[in-house]
Amino acid sequence: MKNTYVIKRIFYSLFVFVVVITLNFFIPRIGVVDPAERYYPPQGNMSEIEYEIIKQVTRKQYGFDVSTWQQYLNYLQGLSKGDLGKSFRPGSPAVIDLIVERLPWTLVLSVSTLLIGLIIGVMFGVVAATKRGRWQDTLLLNASTIMVAIPGFFIALMLSFYLGFELEVFPAYTDSNMVANFDWSLAAIRTVAYNAALPVLSMAVGSIIGHAQGTRNAVIAVTNEDFILTAKAKGLKQNTIRYKHILRNSMLPIVTSLGMSISGLIGGQVVIEQVFNWNGMGTLFLEANNTNDYPLMMGIMLLLSGFTILAILITDLVYVLLDPRVTVGDKR
Amino acid sequence: MKKKLPIHHGMARGIEKRLKNTGLFIKRIWSHKQGKIGLTMVGFLVVVAIFAPYIAPFNPYDVAERTTKGLPPSSKHLLGTTINTGQDIFSMLVYGTRVSLIVGVTSGICIAIVGSILGVAAGYIGGLVDSLVMRIVDIMLVIPTLPLVIVLTNVLGRDYWTIILIFVALGWTGLARTIRSLVLVLKNSNYVKAAELAGASRWHIMIRHILPGTSHLLIMSTALSSAGIMVAEAGLSFLGLGDPTAISWGKMLAEAQRGGALLFGAWWWILTPGIGIFLAVFSFMRLGIVMEEIMNPRMQRSSGVYKVFKNLNSAYVEEVFNSMDDYAKIGVTPAFEHGKGEVTHETGLKA
Repeated sequence: MKNTYVIKRIFYSLFVFVVVITLNFFIPRIGVVDPAERYYPPQGNMSEIEYEIIKQVTRKQYGFDVSTWQQYLNYLQGLSKGDLGKSFRPGSPAVIDLIVERLPWTLVLSVSTLLIGLIIGVMFGVVAATKRGRWQDTLLLNASTIMVAIPGFFIALMLSFYLGFELEVFPAYTDSNMVANFDWSLAAIRTVAYNAALPVLSMAVGSIIGHAQGTRNAVIAVTNEDFILTAKAKGLKQNTIRYKHILRNSMLPIVTSLGMSISGLIGGQVVIEQVFNWNGMGTLFLEANNTNDYPLMMGIMLLLSGFTILAILITDLVYVLLDPRVTVGDKR
Repeated sequence: MKKKLPIHHGMARGIEKRLKNTGLFIKRIWSHKQGKIGLTMVGFLVVVAIFAPYIAPFNPYDVAERTTKGLPPSSKHLLGTTINTGQDIFSMLVYGTRVSLIVGVTSGICIAIVGSILGVAAGYIGGLVDSLVMRIVDIMLVIPTLPLVIVLTNVLGRDYWTIILIFVALGWTGLARTIRSLVLVLKNSNYVKAAELAGASRWHIMIRHILPGTSHLLIMSTALSSAGIMVAEAGLSFLGLGDPTAISWGKMLAEAQRGGALLFGAWWWILTPGIGIFLAVFSFMRLGIVMEEIMNPRMQRSSGVYKVFKNLNSAYVEEVFNSMDDYAKIGVTPAFEHGKGEVTHETGLKA
């Protein structure tokens, strides 16, 4: 039973991934008639024949000279070897290299945001749930009603304005030499932390409140269950009930929200990176967009979708370990 | 066979009746403390958007009405002028209301229409339609939304109607999933069974019996997804990927950042568009929550506020559905009677 469920989930994730790959391949081809034409618009003093030659060369170089179906097969073949295609940038570097170069910088931000958001958020949520109706709870309620209505990038702008420009506590823009000079020395790591403070802070605010609100609701839902009443009636210690009965059972929704928040985190980071000029995948994506670099854009999209699929899959599998009941019904 | 059926009971009828009495409905929102705030603010924004040319002292679209660059706030220019183009910031703010409201509300309404059609069809017809719709929902769930929106604007174009189309194409999934779950419950209720036995056509049942039962979710989700779209549109414009011809709050923020408002300490230039976005989103969300509380009497007063967190559309809507499902199990309302274990839980939230 358990095994069939796990295998089914894995195969379903693979199916979704294949569909995403296909979409990824075809979306840029909706509007673009000829990628060569789109990327190399005719220059002023270029003759008709010259332009035609350039287009031909470009088509050949990027593999657009065969039928769409053949291109799709080539794309799949490349993917199986971990090749995401060639970027339209000068020198046509491999997309995967460009991404790998930026990926760590994005992960620095998302992982620290996730950790801060999760740790502080869960703590805050538990406090709010145990002090239900008191000021801690009211604070969380008011904070979350206000925070959901403020876009993340506005928080980022305000932080870079006050903490960056007015008070000069943290840099308002990322130091452009940070990436180039990075060499695992303590000083370099400190520079990264110093520069990452504001981006992480501006994303963490929303993350903390989201996780706190989720935890609060989960804890209250579990507290109202009958078995807690039984535990109380048995005369168990307050702390035993709180940590062994309530917290362990409210883990489930927290795990779910964790899986879901990963995709939101990466998507939302595009804007935050732009505000602070952070050299991550979000900035890379926007650069690609501004230069119509489709292979690069689609490569990033594919990677992000892959992450999300993996995160959801892992969440589901962890769920099976935590709660054997999920295998009984169809969860999704 | 389209016969008007005499049996019409429970919630479906109640809500239909309420919908007909729009005046009464607005009155009820007004008598709700939070609703009064939401309604006032939404009304204010609508008035500002409609009468923008009369409220704004200058026309920010008009190149001839641009003056000295980088003026601080004064009686002539309430919020000063921009550093790079010399436009009146207050007028830009007023005109920006139009973009936010039009994009937000139009997308919200279209999402409700598409989401309800696909959700009801998936839930009631089932079979191939159901699995097709649900597979699409699953796939859309894993593709990061903002990057996908950016790619689509790149491919399809950046005028506002295209952007609305893209938001609708990507935004209906959460709602459709929730509606489908609710329809699975409604499908087994007595009044739908009675209609089936009386020989009503599928189409008739879906339109006359199932759809009214989901109307409270639809109305709330329209308000909530409008709010969500406003945030998304602001983000898109902030990245410089909105409609290049329009003045929107997100674009104002981007111009302020690039134009050096931070360096010159022009806080009014950055703060005011942000407040505009906040007010619009906040008031629509407030209105949505209050409407849900009024139309779904089983929900505790102001408990809806707790349930909104982060995931504007789906998380909240799903919880509302869960609250209905609980009542269905207890059997409080005759309209919700379970079939034999056919209903599956939508979320893992219920441990």
